[in-house]
Amino acid sequence: MRYAKAVLTVLILLAAITALCAQPEKAEREKVVIGVIGPMALPEGQAEEKAVKLAVEEINAQGGILGHKVEVVVGDTKLDSNTATSEFRRLATVENADVIIGGFSSGVMTAMMETMAETKTLFLSDASSPAHAQKVEQNYEKYKYWFRVSQNNGSTFALDLADMVKFLRDSGYEVKKVYVIRDEHVWTDPVMEALKPLLEEMGVEIVKDVKIPRGYSEYEQLILEAENLNADLIMPILAISGTGDILVKQWATLKPDLLLAGHDLSAIDAELYEKTNGMANYEIFLADGGALVTAPPTEKCREFVEAYKAKYGHYPESHQAYGAYDAVYLYKMVVEMAAENGEKDPFDPDILVKYLVRFNASNPVQLTRTIAFYDNHDLMWGDEYVRNWISQWQDGKQYIIYPPSVANGELKLPPWIQK
Amino acid sequence: MRWVNGAALILAAVMPFILPEAYLYIFGLAYIFAVMVISWDLMVGYTGQVNLGHTTFVGLGAYVAALLQTPLRTGIAMHPAVSIIAGGAAASAVGLAIGIITLRLRGYYFALVTAILPLVFMQTVFIWRELFGGEEGFAVENTLFTTTLEKYYFSLVVLVVSFILMKKIVDSRIGLRFMAVRDSEELAESLGINTTRYKVLAFVLTSFFAGIAGAMVVNYRFTVSPELYGVPLMLLIILSAVLGGLGTLYGPLIGAMVIYLAKNWWLGDIIRTFSLPINDEIVLYAILIAVGILMPEGLYHEIKERWVKSNKQ
Amino acid sequence: MIETLIKIFLFGAVVGGIWGLVASGFSLIFGVSRILNFAHGAAFVSSAFLAYALVNEGYSLYFAVSAGLMLAAVIGVVVYALTKPVRDREVMVIIVTLAFALLVQQVLLVLFGDRGVSIEPFVEGVAEIGGVKVTHMRLLSLALAVICLTALEVFITKTNLGKKVMATAQDSRAAMMVGIDIEKIFLFVMVLSSLLAGFAGILYAQIFAVNPEVSLRALIYAFAIVILGGLGSLRGSIAASFIVGYILVITITFLGARWSEFVMLLTIVAILVVKPTGLFGVEE
Repeated sequence: MRYAKAVLTVLILLAAITALCAQPEKAEREKVVIGVIGPMALPEGQAEEKAVKLAVEEINAQGGILGHKVEVVVGDTKLDSNTATSEFRRLATVENADVIIGGFSSGVMTAMMETMAETKTLFLSDASSPAHAQKVEQNYEKYKYWFRVSQNNGSTFALDLADMVKFLRDSGYEVKKVYVIRDEHVWTDPVMEALKPLLEEMGVEIVKDVKIPRGYSEYEQLILEAENLNADLIMPILAISGTGDILVKQWATLKPDLLLAGHDLSAIDAELYEKTNGMANYEIFLADGGALVTAPPTEKCREFVEAYKAKYGHYPESHQAYGAYDAVYLYKMVVEMAAENGEKDPFDPDILVKYLVRFNASNPVQLTRTIAFYDNHDLMWGDEYVRNWISQWQDGKQYIIYPPSVANGELKLPPWIQK
Repeated sequence: MRWVNGAALILAAVMPFILPEAYLYIFGLAYIFAVMVISWDLMVGYTGQVNLGHTTFVGLGAYVAALLQTPLRTGIAMHPAVSIIAGGAAASAVGLAIGIITLRLRGYYFALVTAILPLVFMQTVFIWRELFGGEEGFAVENTLFTTTLEKYYFSLVVLVVSFILMKKIVDSRIGLRFMAVRDSEELAESLGINTTRYKVLAFVLTSFFAGIAGAMVVNYRFTVSPELYGVPLMLLIILSAVLGGLGTLYGPLIGAMVIYLAKNWWLGDIIRTFSLPINDEIVLYAILIAVGILMPEGLYHEIKERWVKSNKQ
Repeated sequence: MIETLIKIFLFGAVVGGIWGLVASGFSLIFGVSRILNFAHGAAFVSSAFLAYALVNEGYSLYFAVSAGLMLAAVIGVVVYALTKPVRDREVMVIIVTLAFALLVQQVLLVLFGDRGVSIEPFVEGVAEIGGVKVTHMRLLSLALAVICLTALEVFITKTNLGKKVMATAQDSRAAMMVGIDIEKIFLFVMVLSSLLAGFAGILYAQIFAVNPEVSLRALIYAFAIVILGGLGSLRGSIAASFIVGYILVITITFLGARWSEFVMLLTIVAILVVKPTGLFGVEE
């Protein structure tokens, strides 16, 4: 009898605790919660957090989303998959985030997409591997909550790089031979695969294709080799190596008779000029993410970078800021569209997915960039949408030099080029 | 001690009724992490050989298990339970080979060689990335469990079983010989103990459990990636074991739980709440330095000593 | 062909020279005080970052470099103080120095972000040697490294203080008995070695660029080199620096850049399997 009493007490206690901890079932909505997740020790994550907070501040000042106040909760991936999945889950289930924005780094994204599918959370993301969109394609119901907002998928760089060569030729710089230096990383493979036939078509030869490991620094030997092979162009395809700044510095020191033009993530950093003591001058690069501080493609983008500067004292530290800022407005728009159409729960992620996909090729939305999605929820690429604008460092400033529709500068060749 | 163990176990068992699922998920990962830490203690705390390459075996176990259960990559689709064991076995086999080569020597050489090992293995992931998936890693297809609740209990069971096995080992005659090697190799040898053989044995055992833990991570979060070989993970393991107190198993177990939960849960909250201009790693490393200098024996010994002292009075 | 040889010779020597500065100090500290100083990379990067920040603030290059070296020396003192209470526990020494190294790395990460910074070179311009273009800065840094390493060698073998250092390295207890203040020697060696590492960091930031992650990288290189040369052997580690430099450059030239580090690490492991005490080491 005594036993039974003890058991009963324990059971009642447990039930009470469970009841206390269980969240009340779909009570009246008081607020909208936006989660932002990223590597918060790095500029990419910090830019995401600051941009989201800025957008939310603006939206709250105008009355919030459907009259609800918006609140921001932050998660830190620490670029570690275990931490990232834990944090995503915390934001989704403990903080009850209605949408999660951010990401960065493909491996971490792959891991987080599993948690996203399990928690059915809308995820307006950053990271560039085409594999993510392929997942959506292969298993739509499971992964449909994922959208790529920040930047085009990595394989589109092939199109931009081919256009870059074409643009240089049209501007009078003859390109016949290209020396490629790229990351030893899975993301550069589809780029190379797509780039090869495009260059072949133009009669351009790839004289060498060099892969470099993370943290690589011995570029001088490669530059000398490129010169010996009579290359017209060194084409970096670098994001992970983290040492694109060393490449440009050594190129500017050796002053070889060839251009440095390609995709180098470090070139997008607005402080590269300062950090290399001006050696970054004349580097031609791709403005990943479709916007530059010194060449904003839309009016909203111009306002955004100035508001960012006013609030934080400096311009966005990485291009992830544009995507994160756009994501907040995108979310507000689809929720309002859903409410207007009389949806029962305009915050239901399954319903919002249906509204997000309405932004397609024929119906893009202009935010800091012009955004539309493919059927696999990848960000649409093109002159009229977002692409990696062909840009150049000129005397401490970044200019977009192609396509003409957004360009605010012209190609300048380094003075030491004799061709 | 027994009732403390029992109470801890009951607490762990009812945790799902108390905690929201997201924290349960972190707890489960902490259990797996604890397996890594106590298995490191088995080698370092009991035989005194400083193994700086424990993550080699965590990563090996993870990749072996991941490859064995992902038919898309290898054409092999083993049952996850088998692949987890295989991960442990592969890790211990590599441990055996490396141990035979490196453990003949005394002094710092073992520490130095093991420090380089994870770097070498991490390079393999990048170089043969068609197989290993490079920096991005890859998603694992058929996993043992799907819900957080199942995963939580499974990692709890693995932790408890691993802990009991290791405790049995260190309490046995083998464990006594490990400690003899630690305390004085010369003395152990003069007593007729083949020190190299016991050091290698400890290394094989420690690698086995590390491999199991790595394979568990894969089955827990459904992806594998090279950070499982990484230096940061190694440091976290060292930090937890040292904080807890080497050569006790209990200390490292508690250290592992506290450090992992602090890093992935509490510290972040605290720093965010006060918006401090530092990150959590700075806090953790500062704690590590302080503990290392102020109580180099670890918390477990420190508390035990005080306990004994206060009981005497 | 000749050009390739010249290229390998020159570039390998420059890389070897810089790592030689780092590794010799690491080796010296271990030889004298039996401390594996995992915080050695901290001096390497911190001096470079401070020099970069000061140049940016408008100070002259030489002032900035001196300040950077001062910081490296301070780090040496800190490491000495941190390791003093735990010196006889090898596990704790490793843990405390490693934790300190990572602490410094994280502080730099918070202050400067994860991107590389470079310092303006002492000299500009490019020379041509046998048809190979080499920057003046590379040649200068090779010369500086050789001068420093030679001076170190002369100092150790010829001067009175140097002989005390050697005596302590050979047998610290005996050294104490003949009246050498070994604590002072320990401190001195720690500061000297950190200065060498800090100087290497500044040269590195002039030729390449440093980011906080480089601190771990410098440590790993120093570590690998010292193991290869044999623990505690100063000459061994200097020779090994150049060997590592050449392995790197030859791999880049003939196998491709992607293999550079893998081949280096593999060679070292292979050598250790054959000769576990390193090339010039003695078994303890």
